Amino acid sequence: MKGKALCNFDLIGGRLVDPCSGIDRVKDLFVREGIIYSSIPAGKPAEQTFNIKEHIILPGLLDLRVHNRVPGDTQSETVQSLTQAAAKGGFSSILAMPNTTPHSDNPGTIRYIQDRIKQASKIKVHLTGCLTIGSNGKALAPLGSLKEAGVVAVTDCPHSVRDNQIFTNALKYAKMFGLKIIEYPQDPSLSEDGQAHESSLSLKMGLTGNPRMAEELAVQRAITLSRHLKVPIHISSISSFGSVNLVKEAKRLGVKISTDVSAHHLLLTEEAISEYKTQAKTTPPLREEIDRLALIGGLKDGTIDSCNSSHEPYAEHLKQVEFDLAPSGAIGLETALMTVVEALGENDPFPKIAEKMSTNPHQILGLPPPSFKEGNIADFVVINPEKKWTYNTDTGMSLSSNSPLGGHKFIGKAILTVSSGKIAWCEDSILID
Amino acid sequence: MAIKEWSKNSLLGIEDLSSDEILFLLDEAQSIKAQKTIDGSITESLRGKRIINLFMEPSTRTRVAFEIAAKSLGADVISIAGEASSLTKGETLKDTAMNVQALGADAIVLRHSSPGSPLFLSKIVNVPIINAGDGAHEHPSQALLDIYTMREKLGNLNGKKITILGDILFSRVARSNLWGLLKLGAEVTLAGPSTLVPKEFEKLGARVTHDPNEALQGADAVMLLRIQHERQQASHFPSLSEYANVFGLGRSTFNQMKNNAIILHPGPLNRGVEIESELADSNRAVILEQVSNGIAVRMAILQLCINCGEIRR
Repeated sequence: MKGKALCNFDLIGGRLVDPCSGIDRVKDLFVREGIIYSSIPAGKPAEQTFNIKEHIILPGLLDLRVHNRVPGDTQSETVQSLTQAAAKGGFSSILAMPNTTPHSDNPGTIRYIQDRIKQASKIKVHLTGCLTIGSNGKALAPLGSLKEAGVVAVTDCPHSVRDNQIFTNALKYAKMFGLKIIEYPQDPSLSEDGQAHESSLSLKMGLTGNPRMAEELAVQRAITLSRHLKVPIHISSISSFGSVNLVKEAKRLGVKISTDVSAHHLLLTEEAISEYKTQAKTTPPLREEIDRLALIGGLKDGTIDSCNSSHEPYAEHLKQVEFDLAPSGAIGLETALMTVVEALGENDPFPKIAEKMSTNPHQILGLPPPSFKEGNIADFVVINPEKKWTYNTDTGMSLSSNSPLGGHKFIGKAILTVSSGKIAWCEDSILID
Repeated sequence: MAIKEWSKNSLLGIEDLSSDEILFLLDEAQSIKAQKTIDGSITESLRGKRIINLFMEPSTRTRVAFEIAAKSLGADVISIAGEASSLTKGETLKDTAMNVQALGADAIVLRHSSPGSPLFLSKIVNVPIINAGDGAHEHPSQALLDIYTMREKLGNLNGKKITILGDILFSRVARSNLWGLLKLGAEVTLAGPSTLVPKEFEKLGARVTHDPNEALQGADAVMLLRIQHERQQASHFPSLSEYANVFGLGRSTFNQMKNNAIILHPGPLNRGVEIESELADSNRAVILEQVSNGIAVRMAILQLCINCGEIRR
């Protein structure tokens, strides 16, 4: 790993892909003191030269759903391990969910997390605050004060406000501050006991089901409220084919909603939980092939705007329990990018990856998307699209290993992640040249 | 082809068993029962073995039946109930089981509210695990004694029409019976309120109906299941009296079954709810025979699994 200094290097022979700026060509890139140059700047020699022929350079990726465990559970993840996992996975920015302990429902907790990030992170960590106090859906969190403290969005993810009146008021109140609202769509009255996707498999396994209806009712609620209140809502991590259809229709009607999907839902189905594998117990649950295909279709046709990792770390002992007692959630930061690449199954998936994992998520949060324009701060990822590797959770950067993709063979890997002008991750292989 | 020897050291569920394995186990139970009937003598094939009954959920008949079965085979039995164990002090099931193994258990009989917990334990400890009921997943010893009793009364189960009526959704007994009966060629109908008998069970090979008359027409046997989740009455059906009225087995519905049809119930029985009291005491009900057969079936399970495990170790 490199230090924290602003970087000075040349990237020679890579393919720049940035559909947002209309760029897709092989072009050398020069970085001096963290700033992008399109030609070698006079009098500023590079410290390193990376020969990256046949590699892809994408603008910095932003993950819209990451569960930070600080404060509260540093056995599962620290800020350092979380952000290293993100950087290794190719992300230069992440959006941290507010389900810390205590909850991120007050400015004090937000400031504490910001301090930890300043000390330990090499990437940008944007924070969310709770929509309701303790995310318990009963009373509004101090959204104005949270905004002042620096949150960029508010959400109760991985929960959803049960009471329609409180949710409606939360939306109206958040709108006043221009805060982005992120809804994790679940009707808790139908889903809170659910251990797995409701299907013949959950019946067979004797597990309480979490039906598609639970998600679709909440998606429909978000659509209806967004339309009536004229509040943009980002619907996080949809997983059912019905949700894809609802979002598609709502977008056709001009409702101001956006949505994303978690990467492992594009690659895996409920079969991953057979033999009661707690690593595959995710939020929302993995569903069926019909859902997986609809999610991929939605991603391709523009219904789904973005892909997240839904990284939810749990220390090994927390997951090594009976299936119904195990917490829901899987880690995904180190695999999300290449999972999406694999799921898209396209000859050249990288323009779409740039759109779904860089441009769109930044726009959803109202942040300027990184680009390769001269004078911009360097913020990008270099991908070796041919590199074959097997995901080993034991050698990952995350402190937790609760991934359903342990042992999965990937083709393609992020080998250099630059965030805010600094190298956040660099594979040894790139240094050989 | 029939199998010649038993090759499983744990009994986690019926879904994992082949029809030959089920028949092998039932035949073993039959010879144990015959032996007991002839001269009362039993080979104490598990003398010196230590069996731990780890019952994390309340149970009377299953726990006692396993205790009697183990003692009849000469084994030492120690029963641990959930509320008396270190699990109430925050110990995980994994740690409890590893301690039980360290104490020299030769087998663990596990009753637990979590589906899949016996499989979970079998990957952690190196002793035979006998599933005595895991949440709504499986209850293999119960299904084996049910099937044993049906076979004793009805003969070969191939082509027989068996109806399971009641709370199927939350029932491990229904699931284990479904697997076992299907493997032996029976036609299985699952019946009860639509809230407790999802149509998706058809994908597992059963016929599903919410009309008890249709379910029982021409059936060879009916297995009644207790309404287990009293706390869910309000959300899954209106009241016990409504349940009794619509789905309770009375004389008129019973008469639609075959002449020699039998009534099974895994217990505990709610007289006047699942079944009219008089019918429960009739000669068509084999409920107490199920309980007695449960001893021989559990003896067969313990003997086969522990001796198989012994050979392997």
